[in-house]
Amino acid sequence: MKKLCVVLIMGVLILSLTACATKIENPVIRLSTTTSVNDSGLMAYLQPVFEKDTGYTLEITSAGTGAAIEKGRTGDADVLLVHAKASEEEFINEGFGEVRVPFMYNFFVIVGPEGDPAGVNGSATAAEAFKKIAEAGATFISRGDDSGTHKAELKIWKSLELDPTGQPWYVSVGDSMGKTLTVGNEMQGYVFTDKATFLAHENTLSLLLEETDDMKNTYSMIAITSQRYADTNYAGAQAFIEWMTSEKAADLIAKYGIEEYGEQLFFILAAK
Amino acid sequence: MAKTMDVIREIFGLLFGQDPELRQIIGVTLRMSTLSALVSALVGIPLGVILGSTEFKAKRFVNRILHTLMGLPPVVAGLIVFLFLSRSGPLGTLKLLFTVTAMVIAQIVLITPIMTGLTANIVSVKAPLIHETAAGIGLRPFQRMLYIIYECRVQFVSTLLTGFGRAIAEVGAVQMVGGNVQFKTRVMTTAIMMQTNMGHFEFAIALGIVLLVIAFLINSLVSRIQESAGLA
Amino acid sequence: MISVRDVLVQVGGRVILDIPLLKFEEGRRYGLIGENGSGKTTLLRVLAGTLLPTQGQVTRQNPNSLGYMPQAPYAFSFSVLRNVEMALENTPERRDNAVRALEAVGMRNFLAARGNKLSGGEAQRMAVARMIAKPRKLLLLDEPTSSTDIRGTDAIENTLLEYAKETRCTLIFSTHSPAQVLRLAEEVIFLDQGRILEKGSARDVLGNPQTESARLFLQHWRI
Repeated sequence: MKKLCVVLIMGVLILSLTACATKIENPVIRLSTTTSVNDSGLMAYLQPVFEKDTGYTLEITSAGTGAAIEKGRTGDADVLLVHAKASEEEFINEGFGEVRVPFMYNFFVIVGPEGDPAGVNGSATAAEAFKKIAEAGATFISRGDDSGTHKAELKIWKSLELDPTGQPWYVSVGDSMGKTLTVGNEMQGYVFTDKATFLAHENTLSLLLEETDDMKNTYSMIAITSQRYADTNYAGAQAFIEWMTSEKAADLIAKYGIEEYGEQLFFILAAK
Repeated sequence: MAKTMDVIREIFGLLFGQDPELRQIIGVTLRMSTLSALVSALVGIPLGVILGSTEFKAKRFVNRILHTLMGLPPVVAGLIVFLFLSRSGPLGTLKLLFTVTAMVIAQIVLITPIMTGLTANIVSVKAPLIHETAAGIGLRPFQRMLYIIYECRVQFVSTLLTGFGRAIAEVGAVQMVGGNVQFKTRVMTTAIMMQTNMGHFEFAIALGIVLLVIAFLINSLVSRIQESAGLA
Repeated sequence: MISVRDVLVQVGGRVILDIPLLKFEEGRRYGLIGENGSGKTTLLRVLAGTLLPTQGQVTRQNPNSLGYMPQAPYAFSFSVLRNVEMALENTPERRDNAVRALEAVGMRNFLAARGNKLSGGEAQRMAVARMIAKPRKLLLLDEPTSSTDIRGTDAIENTLLEYAKETRCTLIFSTHSPAQVLRLAEEVIFLDQGRILEKGSARDVLGNPQTESARLFLQHWRI
């Protein structure tokens, strides 16, 4: 009887060891992305397919762009998915990642009250629209949270050599896109937002301006280098980037939004 | 190591320097908390005195409602006030959402029951004997009430301070109805949350230190008062 | 002058006072005596009006000229003088009347002392001063010398006797001490378990108790 037990236990141990050998060494990939990407619902849409295809498990955290990138520095993420080129390049220069992989883009839009008091509709560029808003002193709600969207907004103000900080019509909330839109709805002010989040959100504001050149928003992925932290899942990050740039993913991403909102929300960058 | 020194230096710089935004945030916080505490006290303490010193038919029922309100989760209070003040709500035309007034309203909803409950407890200990002695002397009900309030005055101060401490620490309700708008409704707690989310830890830590110091001061004041009241 | 009829006080199903009829005459001095829990305090509170009986009625001839001193009277946190003045109308003579009352109970040196810093005996003397600082038609006192020493007890008893003589008020007090009854009261009411056990002239009842319970009670006091 005793001998039989020993043999059984040995057998179970050996079997489980071999089973481990065929599994992925570290199946959990920590993806740090921005609230905009999260709020758009794209990741929730892609995640189950990715996990089924690769056997990896995706742990997604979202925060403002600044904090999302910071996770890469502190070793709390394996791969980043963000949309702030300057910050990304800084990150790479500091040696936390080897290369950024731009793979899709979308457009920001300007939304506002139906009556459009500042006459934003019909502007040629976002900059022109911003100028009209400032001149009219119309309420403008900014994310104010150092996110990619916020940085894009600031870039436009900078190009006009205008600093709206502290102006009575400029409302800076320091929060996510969704929250900013809520405030916009309440105050009936103008908001600079990505289209996907706007469509996914309940609104009383109207879409006033879209698809100008200065409102293009590029998303990139960066795998965190394996050199800094011992437990970084570099293999997992690579697997994620590979899958996200595959044809299958491109197809899925292009289809996202069509059924629910009637239009494509994210566009694939032509592969190099 | 060098980085830690930089961080510490930056925090001290913020604390003792002239960063206008830091001071503005502290200012809004103090204004809001003082107003909330005062109004809550003006309403809650008299209610508490009446509750603690008189007997009436519905007293048990009122006490139950009071205890439920005392346990009201702050985010629920924030949600209720938000729904009332939002554009689509009954008081939407007042345009109070995302203002300091809205935050004060939410805090009053939260703090008044606490003040009422604390006061009723304090008063119910002393009130029966004061009541009997005062009635025996021939004082009228209104006079008796005044004497009860006078005798409990020290603890009322500590109740007020407790309310202030509660107001200053509030995050959820205040974030919801205030919106954390820069220069307008950004208070210490919501700013700390935001700065942490953004990864700006130095600013968050500096604010946190200020908040801790204030909370510590209030608590030691309250202890001092309680002790002296106990000895008196 | 003051009387109770069919008074019943029930707390949680238990009867703690049951008095079919009790009349107090104007100008006389009554001592209530009995064990702890016999109903002395309850009766005084019903007479004072701070406790409403479950049943029955209390008839008072001068309800506004009543003074009631509870068992552990509250001493307010202001000065002893003010503690007494608070019982008086705000007239020019108020201070003098209060001082005189405090002198009568031997508290002349305590005028500026804080009420809440007094000892039990001092607080009781102060409470008695409150009672006698102005003329009243009815005085109800619950164990007025329970915390005082011999000196204080003397002062209080003498003051009360003088006061009663001057104002011809009705004095009703409760006590544990038959000796005090003999010194201070004309009539005695023996209470036991909420009911009147014996009633009559102090000398008669205490010298010659009719009931077994009364006899037992008095036996404790035989020196």
